[in-house]
Amino acid sequence: MGINHLYIHVPFCKAICYYCDFCHRIYDEKLADKWLDRLSRETEENCRDQYETIYIGGGTPTSLSDKQLDRLLCMADPFTEKVIEYTIEVNPESLDQHKIGIMKKHGINRISMGLQTADDDLLRIIGRNHSFTDVKEKVNLLKDNGVFNISIDLMYSLPGQSMEMLQDTLNKVLELKVPHISLYSLTIEENSVFGKKGFSNLDEDMEADMYELIEKTLCERGYIHYEVSNYCLEGYESKHNLGYWNYDDFLGISLGASGKIGNNRYTNTRSFEKYINENSIREEDLHLNREEMMFENVMMSFRTIYGLNMNEFNGRYDADFLSEYSKAIKKHRDNLIIEDGQVRVRNMALLHPLLVDFMDCVLADSDK
Amino acid sequence: MSILDKNRIRNFSIIAHIDHGKSTLADRILELTETVSKREMQDQILDSLDLERERGITIKLNVVQLKYHAKDGQDYVFHLIDTPGHVDFTYEVSRSLAACDGAILVVDASQGIEAQTLANTYLALDNDLEILPVINKIDLPSADIERTKKEIEEVIGLDCTDAPCISAKTGQNVEDVLEGIVKYLPCPKGEAEKPLKALVFDSYYDSYRGVVVFICVKDGNVKVGDKIRFMQTGTVYEVTEVGVKTPNEVKKGSLSAGEVGYLCASIKSIQDIHIGDTITLNDNPCAEALPGYRKMNPMVYCGMYPTDNNKYNDLRDALQKLQLNDSSLTFEAESSKALGFGFRLGFLGLLHMEVVQERLEREYNLNLIATAPSVIYKVTMTDGSVKYIDNPSLMPDSNLIEFIEEPYVEASIMVPNEYMGSVMQLSQDKRGIYKDMIYIDTNRNQLVYDMPLSEIIFEYFDKLKSVSRGYASLDYTLTGYRKSNLVKMDILINGEVIDALSIIVHRDFAYKRGQAITVKLKEILPKQQFEIPIQAAIGNKVLARTNIKSLRKDVLAKCYGGDISRKKKLLEKQREGKKRMKAVGSVEIPQEAFMAVLALDDDGN
Repeated sequence: MGINHLYIHVPFCKAICYYCDFCHRIYDEKLADKWLDRLSRETEENCRDQYETIYIGGGTPTSLSDKQLDRLLCMADPFTEKVIEYTIEVNPESLDQHKIGIMKKHGINRISMGLQTADDDLLRIIGRNHSFTDVKEKVNLLKDNGVFNISIDLMYSLPGQSMEMLQDTLNKVLELKVPHISLYSLTIEENSVFGKKGFSNLDEDMEADMYELIEKTLCERGYIHYEVSNYCLEGYESKHNLGYWNYDDFLGISLGASGKIGNNRYTNTRSFEKYINENSIREEDLHLNREEMMFENVMMSFRTIYGLNMNEFNGRYDADFLSEYSKAIKKHRDNLIIEDGQVRVRNMALLHPLLVDFMDCVLADSDK
Repeated sequence: MSILDKNRIRNFSIIAHIDHGKSTLADRILELTETVSKREMQDQILDSLDLERERGITIKLNVVQLKYHAKDGQDYVFHLIDTPGHVDFTYEVSRSLAACDGAILVVDASQGIEAQTLANTYLALDNDLEILPVINKIDLPSADIERTKKEIEEVIGLDCTDAPCISAKTGQNVEDVLEGIVKYLPCPKGEAEKPLKALVFDSYYDSYRGVVVFICVKDGNVKVGDKIRFMQTGTVYEVTEVGVKTPNEVKKGSLSAGEVGYLCASIKSIQDIHIGDTITLNDNPCAEALPGYRKMNPMVYCGMYPTDNNKYNDLRDALQKLQLNDSSLTFEAESSKALGFGFRLGFLGLLHMEVVQERLEREYNLNLIATAPSVIYKVTMTDGSVKYIDNPSLMPDSNLIEFIEEPYVEASIMVPNEYMGSVMQLSQDKRGIYKDMIYIDTNRNQLVYDMPLSEIIFEYFDKLKSVSRGYASLDYTLTGYRKSNLVKMDILINGEVIDALSIIVHRDFAYKRGQAITVKLKEILPKQQFEIPIQAAIGNKVLARTNIKSLRKDVLAKCYGGDISRKKKLLEKQREGKKRMKAVGSVEIPQEAFMAVLALDDDGN
């Protein structure tokens, strides 16, 4: 069976946000050309299917020049015959009429835009080079071009952020009338600018308060809280991301990208030098055993309100979900809903303590 | 050289206060006598436990045979027995001294004599050892050789005219020590012609050879094939191997009077070996056994439980093996409502307890929960009977108790004049009763207090170091039991008394301790999915209370295809952390919580 999902990573940004530790560089035209050369080879070698979803993420894909963006999308063209959802991540400051034209020409039908917060002072604190007005303008520009399937990325529990500031951001974002909103609590990563400057995470209780405020505000306005950090209007779930959460196979290409095909999970090198010059570009290349795959499947599926389908799971691993995990299920019965062959987590905010016990059930034997 | 020429044997220990340079001097001696090649040499070479190296302390005695070509043209054989300096391990010191004829007393020229300098010297004198004083650390700018010599002469009464003044660190004058050993320390007194009489002073378990026994041959000799008898247990074994430590074990044909070495005899039964026992020949026994050692009674007790209940038998095996190598450790089975099945262990002090726990965890790969340490209380019941309680949770109901007595020590504290005030204040706060002040020199005095042992082990030592900026030194000896106004305090977590957290406190300090413990527990206990009240109570009366707020959010914000590895690692870390916890009812309690009852006051660290 073919693979249904393709991820392409664009490892460039115009500037580095202070919370980010992901793999990217400040955009450099020549380096980007070399990267595209290598990516073209990788595409030829690895892409064999017609994908239902394609996701171009980063980094900042719109940091590429128009010509480079066009070239990138041309590479993907041969694999888009069956595409249902074709997403690209954009930053407000580097999105314009030209780029929207290029995207549309290649069939991109979903835009994910990074806003983070509607508070301009806070935007500066986290190292972003745009204002809320920029975002508003670019959302309108997209709509003028007939692109309505837009997702806005937000962050909360930012340094100095109050409940009022978050409420204000939510109100402003609701005015944008977009069908999908992702909200991530800030985690201070060791290798991010914040991490290096010694920032620490906001108080746990405050973070939980914010999580609840978001849920209340957005659900009142008709959004579905369909994944720990994702909200959408009915029918606007990210199909690509649902693939991850369903633990489907996916192909990831480019520098730093990961993929999972069968029991093989790999991650490409994060080094430009290695990526451009070497034939072997894998940094991690794992062959997972059945128990590991089972656990990863649980770990991913429990993140959404749709949960895990036991029939599918049992078929995939020749397992019996209820007996393999009986101990953890019993312990967490108050936080699990098991009905109609689906297993769902009632309170997704407390997923980790539950997963730790699921981990104990199946992986206990493999690490002895 | 004839192996039997005991005139050319010297058996000695190096004794000193902690950090005065014992192990460094031993290193230099090993280098100078070329016992260890440059390639094999490393710092603290006789400290073979990882733990000793990491902490820079000696815990175990260790023995090594050296050959020295002296200035008189003769070759000598030295047996050096390295000993610990910390007060908890005095027992180790006394054991090694019994195998010696002399001792080198190392004194730091920048510090002068300290509490354990005195204590160890008295131990050596009790064992009739010749003592060679050595002034160390003369390379330090603050070294005061003359003052240190004067102190040794006046306080201890040892003549320092010929005392070598050295720097073990740089190696300066260390040869004077070797010459001093030849000149001033006596040779062994025993006779090779007499029937075998050998002192067992240490042992450890080797899975191939069985128990390896360290012996000091007082009279006679022992060789492979000999049938030996352990006089205390009467058990007989055939010797399969004898040898010396150089410091690696080197096989020899025999060991004779004056020699210190090891012996194997396929001993699989650990119970047969008693440190301090005498070995003799089965068919030609000596008339009477050596006096052996005074049995050391543990001062501190705590419960130890495997975090995984299935490891109970592993823990028992580990304890039996460890006891071979640490005869001052005692243990017996006990059970706790909160912790399941485990053991109550007896120790010589808190450091000893820490060391045992670490050795069990490292050398025997166990995850353990240790309960708060307790001294042993003497409880007189209303019916006149007397109970000894080493586990606070077993303290009888207060209305059945006539009175409780607790162990007291006489504590000697050497302290520079400028810190006298704060040390006296501290000692008083810890229920100390002033007894005496002994003048040492113009800068220092020795304070003597009667003090409850529990105060010393719980907090006193740490605080003493902090109020004196590390300059005060402490030694103590048990003096007996005294009546005290003591009461059992329970700790309740989520409304449930956790028996392993109960402690005995003085009634006057109960409120303060209760506050400190609940606050500390709040910091340590991980949040759970519900609010957890923590209370400190005497009987039904709650003295202190605090709440751990419930855990509301614990989930990774972003988790897409590329985040799987990272997320799994995070979960694995959480899972590892959980392994170090004990599920008590619905609450997970981490190891550290059981030590939290030692929580310092707010003004502490």
